[in-house]
Amino acid sequence: MAQVPVQTIHRDPQLFYWILLPITAVMILTGVLRHYATVLMASAPKRLDQKTTREQRALLHGINVRGNFHTLAKPSFDVRRDALTTAYESGAYLKSPENRGQAPPNPLSDPSSMEGMMGMMKNQMAMIIPNTLIMSWINAFFSGYVIMKLPFPLTIKFKSMLQAGVATKDMDPRWMSSISWYFLCIFGLQSVFNFLLGSDNAASQMAQQMGGMAPNAGQMFGPGVDPDKQFLAEAENLAVIEHYSVLDGVEQRLLEGIKV
Amino acid sequence: MSAEREFQIVPIVQEAVVHNSRTLLNLQSLTASLFGVGAGILGLESYSGFLFYVVCSLLTAMLFYVVRVAPTSLASDANGGGGAFDTSRYFRSQVEFWTGGLMNGLAGFILTWTLFYGLVRA
Repeated sequence: MAQVPVQTIHRDPQLFYWILLPITAVMILTGVLRHYATVLMASAPKRLDQKTTREQRALLHGINVRGNFHTLAKPSFDVRRDALTTAYESGAYLKSPENRGQAPPNPLSDPSSMEGMMGMMKNQMAMIIPNTLIMSWINAFFSGYVIMKLPFPLTIKFKSMLQAGVATKDMDPRWMSSISWYFLCIFGLQSVFNFLLGSDNAASQMAQQMGGMAPNAGQMFGPGVDPDKQFLAEAENLAVIEHYSVLDGVEQRLLEGIKV
Repeated sequence: MSAEREFQIVPIVQEAVVHNSRTLLNLQSLTASLFGVGAGILGLESYSGFLFYVVCSLLTAMLFYVVRVAPTSLASDANGGGGAFDTSRYFRSQVEFWTGGLMNGLAGFILTWTLFYGLVRA
């Protein structure tokens, strides 16, 4: 097979100043803006009334006792387990004990649940709106320019993606148009944001999508969950624990650790 | 003694683990971008560019091990008998330490590689 001659395209050096630089600068600035917009829009956690807080803390207490039982001595663990189990089963910590056994209210009708959904909507919007705007901005102003050459070869399939707006049949797919520089920026600027804003920034879209998938910490007390059922389940979990302490046999371990 | 009890006697602090892996991630993404600059200025193309990246990020992991991890890890008793090249004192997974940089920094590398290749050569 004959060697395909390397294509060279003479491009105006001004393309760099008027296309490459503006797109890159705008992408970086949008990331910074998105970060600060997210920080500003983050709503402070709502104040809960005393009964609700007690209900949630009581459940957390049970979970913590279950998770850290090994640091308690046998008698103190037994006392805690008895007290918690009795309180859970009698419903002493419930916010509204008269509602026991009823179906939980529809989460859509509960105003407090709308708060969480609004927060999610805001995050989504902060992601979608700038992307749409920038993409249409690039399409409107910079479509049809070939600005760069990729340093690695690609198959012909990438041609329609990289050279959108440049309908030249024989051009090597390595040449890329301004819209593909935009896509490269989306994926590659993560490290720049890490450097500029610290590593837990909100600028990256990848991290946002990951965060959306991870289960929320507030989910446990979310609307539509019956606290009575949670309490009963927790009481059952506590009942099945077979207690031991980390201090069991500690003398033996200490003596083993001493080397004469 | 079971593994679960071993963890309860010598617990692992989650915040410290997160901090360690975040430090590693910052280093990886920053150096990957700088390697991209280097590869672009050298004018490397296709395979040689990616090879440059792989070699450089492995070298970074090696340096990180030698400078930051090895002095305390080898001196401590809690090494678990892992010997040299054992990073379990600071990182949960060995694979993450040695090759995690390849995946984490790839996008940044390609971006700066393309940019500087375009500026210098093409």
